[in-house]
Amino acid sequence: MDSVRSPDWPAAPLGGLAANSAAARYGTPSGPAPAVGRAQPPHPAEPAYPPAHPPAPPAPVAGPRPEAHPGRRAAPPVPVKILIAGGFGVGKTTTVGAISEIAPLTTEAEMTSAGIGIDDPGARSAKTTTTVAMDFGCVTIDRSLKLYLFGTPGQARFGFMWDDLARGALGALVVVDSSRLDDCYPVVDYFEQAGLPFVVGVNAFDGRLALDLDAIRWALAIGEHVPLVRFDARDRLSVRDTLLVVLDRALQRATRDRGA
Amino acid sequence: MTPDAGGEGDPEQRVRIRLRAPVAGAAASAPDPGPEGPRPFVLTAGRVASADPAIGLETQVTAEPGASDDEVALLPPELQAIIALCAEPISVAEISARTRLHFGVTRVLVGDLRAAGHLEVHLGPGDGASDPELILRVIDGLRAIS
Ligand SMILES: Nc1nc2c(ncn2[C@@H]2O[C@H](COP(=O)(O)OP(=O)(O)OP(=O)(O)O)[C@@H](O)[C@H]2O)c(=O)[nH]1
Ligand SMILES: [Mg+2]
Repeated sequence: MDSVRSPDWPAAPLGGLAANSAAARYGTPSGPAPAVGRAQPPHPAEPAYPPAHPPAPPAPVAGPRPEAHPGRRAAPPVPVKILIAGGFGVGKTTTVGAISEIAPLTTEAEMTSAGIGIDDPGARSAKTTTTVAMDFGCVTIDRSLKLYLFGTPGQARFGFMWDDLARGALGALVVVDSSRLDDCYPVVDYFEQAGLPFVVGVNAFDGRLALDLDAIRWALAIGEHVPLVRFDARDRLSVRDTLLVVLDRALQRATRDRGA
Repeated sequence: MTPDAGGEGDPEQRVRIRLRAPVAGAAASAPDPGPEGPRPFVLTAGRVASADPAIGLETQVTAEPGASDDEVALLPPELQAIIALCAEPISVAEISARTRLHFGVTRVLVGDLRAAGHLEVHLGPGDGASDPELILRVIDGLRAIS
């Protein structure tokens, strides 16, 4: 329990990063901060939000969180999300906490489970509505882009909620424990059907795998196109690199779709 | 976007009436609802399934700067709490986590508060997942983490 709490981040772990990239992008080393209701969106992907109210006058620079001013706020960031899915206790929350700049928060949702007997053996087999807890965290990419990570249970088919989760997601990391592979079948099936780019990450509990990667690939019956990596859910850089594999798949899909 | 179930006429009027009415009823019939009382359900009148599907977990919400404090003060405390959280941009998931309301309930209430002019819901231009530029920015951002 205690050992995998995310490390105590400094108050703004990515403040330096965010500040750097903001400065790089907007080129304001000193002087007034970019006006919060700036006229020129920095990126064409900036959404055209509903009619703005008169922009506030430029606020003086006040540290790494310029949006913390009263009055008219900065435009919200464009949110993107990656799902962290997997069965009970495989390390989803640990994964989110390892890289999130906030301690993982939990939201609860009603999920209607189209139970096909995959859920806990012996437990209810009929279709049920269950309350499921999802953990999430976030990483500020830059002033106008924020990555959310949603840890979502994957041991049963929770139809309605998964559709909500998958809508607009860049991709997913399916976390598996090599000694309990069957926990992740439903979610692997779901992502495959939904066409969501995903990567299977084997959380190497204490460096040990019950099966080697080839055996795991075979057992999961995932195609060669699905990356299978081994990672450590407690390690920030390991989680970062694994998410980069997910993003690589997401990028492949996006460029392919664009070319088509 | 998606019209609320049973919604015709002036949306503001309709929403205001609905948000006020159940509270009076709840107070009369259930004097001690307690912190985990029936309010979320009462507030949404069971409309969870009719929530706007375009509002996602990650969707950003901000308080409408023009909204009048007097009007907000008349709302049930749960709704006031949501509006207060939205002083800075915040995701629907985070509103749900901080208010301890289920996500489905939160989504309905956020939709109501938008209809009543209290919140701005920032539905982006659409599908970031199909935008290679956006994905490249995320990749660069993650690479910068050490
Ligand atoms: N030794 C070791 N323990 C781990 C590792 N990853 C996770 N754990 C532990 O395994 C337990 C489950 O990890 P969580 O991150 O809570 O897993 P989860 O998937 O969120 O679990 P649920 O939400 O309950 O389904 C926790 O007690 C962690 O401390 C690991 O790589 N090594
Ligand atoms: Mg968990």
